[in-house]
Amino acid sequence: MTTAGGSFQSPYEVGTPQGAEGWEQMYNWYHQRGEERREQDEQRFWFHDRLHHPDLLHPYDEIQCECWWQALGAFNTRIFAMPPAYGVDQRIINGYVYVSPVPADPAKLAERAELFERRAGHYYEHWDAIYDEWKEKVTARLEEIRAMDFSPLPDVEDESVVFEHRGYSSGYRMIQDFQRLVVVMYETYQYHFELLNIGYAAYLSFFGFCKKAFPNITDQAISRMVGGLHVDLYRPDDELKRLGKEAVRLGIADDVLAADDGAERLFERLREREGGREWVEDWERTADPWFVFNTDPGHPGGYHVHRTWADEPDVPLAAVKEYVSRLREGEEIDRPTERVLAERDRITAEYRRLLSEDDQPAFDEMVDLARTVFVYIEEHNIYIEHWMWATFWSKSRELSRSLQAMGAFDEAEDMFFLRRGEVAEAIYDVVAAWSVGSRPRGADYWRPIVVERRRIHAVLEAWDAPPALGRPPQEVNEPFTVMLWGITTDQVAAWLSGGGEDGRTLQGQAGSPGVVEGPARIVRTVDELREVQDGEVLICPATSPSWSTVFSRVVATVSDVGGVMSHTAIVCREYGMPAVVGTGRAVSTITTGQRVRVDGDQGTVTVLD
Amino acid sequence: MLGGKGAGLASLAAAGLRVPPAFVITTEAYRRAVAEPLGEELERALAAIPDRAPDAELERAAAAARERILAVPERHGLRDEIETAYARLGAEAGEDPAPVAVRSSATGEDSGGQSFAGGHDTHLWVVGADEVQARVRECWASLYTARAVSYRAHGGLVDEAVMGVVVQQMADARSAGVFMTLDPSNGDRSSVVVESVWGLGEPLVSGQATPDRFVVNKITGDVVRRQIALKPAELVRDPASGRGTVQREVPADRRERSSLESAELDELVRMARVLEELAGAPQDCEFAVTAGEPPENVRLLQCRPETVWSQRKPRTIAGRRSALQSVLNTLTGEDRA
Repeated sequence: MTTAGGSFQSPYEVGTPQGAEGWEQMYNWYHQRGEERREQDEQRFWFHDRLHHPDLLHPYDEIQCECWWQALGAFNTRIFAMPPAYGVDQRIINGYVYVSPVPADPAKLAERAELFERRAGHYYEHWDAIYDEWKEKVTARLEEIRAMDFSPLPDVEDESVVFEHRGYSSGYRMIQDFQRLVVVMYETYQYHFELLNIGYAAYLSFFGFCKKAFPNITDQAISRMVGGLHVDLYRPDDELKRLGKEAVRLGIADDVLAADDGAERLFERLREREGGREWVEDWERTADPWFVFNTDPGHPGGYHVHRTWADEPDVPLAAVKEYVSRLREGEEIDRPTERVLAERDRITAEYRRLLSEDDQPAFDEMVDLARTVFVYIEEHNIYIEHWMWATFWSKSRELSRSLQAMGAFDEAEDMFFLRRGEVAEAIYDVVAAWSVGSRPRGADYWRPIVVERRRIHAVLEAWDAPPALGRPPQEVNEPFTVMLWGITTDQVAAWLSGGGEDGRTLQGQAGSPGVVEGPARIVRTVDELREVQDGEVLICPATSPSWSTVFSRVVATVSDVGGVMSHTAIVCREYGMPAVVGTGRAVSTITTGQRVRVDGDQGTVTVLD
Repeated sequence: MLGGKGAGLASLAAAGLRVPPAFVITTEAYRRAVAEPLGEELERALAAIPDRAPDAELERAAAAARERILAVPERHGLRDEIETAYARLGAEAGEDPAPVAVRSSATGEDSGGQSFAGGHDTHLWVVGADEVQARVRECWASLYTARAVSYRAHGGLVDEAVMGVVVQQMADARSAGVFMTLDPSNGDRSSVVVESVWGLGEPLVSGQATPDRFVVNKITGDVVRRQIALKPAELVRDPASGRGTVQREVPADRRERSSLESAELDELVRMARVLEELAGAPQDCEFAVTAGEPPENVRLLQCRPETVWSQRKPRTIAGRRSALQSVLNTLTGEDRA
């Protein structure tokens, strides 16, 4: 199949929805279309990045896109000289992020291959040691932003400023800390891509080898040969299971199960009792860092609006309850790590046995390398997407509350309708006023701007962002587009032909095998998880590791975004339930209660009603 | 004289594979009963046919040869042995006279090598000793169809023309089909491909029916592809006489349903793994699924070595390349195509 030379609407022909005129002021100018680059942009293929940025961006949250726009690009283009690919370009259109992988100059392929071989080769050779250093670098940056204090500025400075000869005011520190907060986040995104794409490249090469040697091999079977032992990724869920067991051991299981007035009240009651106190203290120790775990559907950490388990203890508490009741029923709740590992080794050995003798040593080397890099591929999310971003957003919210208290805004949330450059201005305004004992322009200045932007934001939220724009390639074979975003030639052809075969069947990717039917349940946010009933088919933008307990209730999962390596696909394979990922529009076309058939072998979802 | 493949089938049964009881009239037995008294005369007559003889002439000569075999005296040397073996089969099957399938097999188990699938005869739901004797002779005669003769003359099959015959207790197939322990379309050795139809498997084997098709990962057990065909007709035992077969319409509610349940498919894949391990090479097998509960209702009918892909050397993909070189090839697209 090819895309048959078809083309999508030009990104320059996408108009502004009525009532959203002037939306451009909400985002940085360099992130937008410009006549001077029209010719270039129209020749390219753009797709809505539903994987990382499914929702409308708040102006402040634009930093999330900027971080990876620059860091991914630099590592591919300038540092490792990824032979075929430069970076991934971005445009914000009507508040949504469109991306376009930029191919490298074909004339430079050989030259770049030579650079890549030396540079990436060095990383592969020393991977484990580099990853250890990496963890130290990132943890140090995490500690740095955790230590930042954005509380409102004091009436009179603490004595330590004087007696420790600090030499600067808290107002200056607030200005500086905000700059550091942004820069440190930016810095850790450099580290994020230091290992990610060359890691993916190694995995892809193993993947490609398997597909050639075994034309029928599924993506799942390949990932089962390399995945399955990355403790940190599963650690938050493992901690919930441990707390469940502890509740049973300490004799407070009944209290935990009966709690229906929220985690905080439960903790209050438990603190009164010996075993209970021990458990609550355990919970609090565990929460930092393991419950610093974002609840966003899909790629975690992308928006300031989502909270973590630590912010919303009701979410992990619901999971702990689930584990307690399963323990009560005598169920084994631990992850069968040993079985998964034994199975991994068995599968690998059996595939190896079917290869020609000449290929066996190469296969061994490739499996080794793929397993080495895969630890990072699975685990880096905890460090960057969860810990770093959750802390970044939490510090940002702390700052917004202080700024509101100091008169910058009517509401703390207003800050997120300002671009980060404007936030620096807002800080300077209130700091200057605090310093001289005067009145900032503050809310009076920002109010009309925020009111206008809130109105535009509401209009844009209702806009249906088209999945793709511009001119697609005949065949989508850029490895990262296929691997990371799950965008294939077939998918693009389906979009071109209007998206649906017969309107009742959605085509996605086969994420986890099996065929099952059941009533649909649409879940967009973590709050809606509690409505999920046993036996339903979960239909969501994407899942998150923080949604763990829902998987024991549903019979299949369908996600709008993601490829076979997405969280949804991985977790469903672990649970042995069918999954179809990357359907593009399941959430918007299926409604709760409709009967659907999920075919995890073919990658299709059919509405039966 | 009777045994050979039967003994092979017994070892499959010992490995936990359900195989209906059977006996084999070996090529050696054929040699004694037919080839020795008649063979020279037959082959001489056929050898006299010039290389580019017109079809009609070939056809006439082949027909004459068949006539000659069918006219083998009733009291040929194997008659009693076949009768005894058939009676024993009936006793073993608990049904006397036992309904059986009589199948020709151009090369006996002992000679291995080239297969001649579909080239010879199969008779289903054969009941009674006389019927069996007659069908066995027909199988022998089928060695001399014009097509077979021509195949031997031009196909370079240099072996002496001999014919083994398998007599196997009939499995009352609800569904039946074939499986291969590799994917014949691309040689993927990690797959089992199963094809199946409602009723008896013959229409599938002879290419007259479109089967359901399953590609299963032999290593993980996952079903990789599942194509359910529209199956308007099925071949079943003739309900009137209880002998032979009739084709009938499949009721509407079954036509587009899978002819295999997933537990039956699992059992077939398990059998495929055991068989291949036992044989040490890819296998090509026929099976039947009877009424009753899986896995007990899944039966293996016959197996032979796969002959196309297993004679090729496995393709070398990465060879002595380093992992880093493989990464580069992936990125530069040299591994594509």
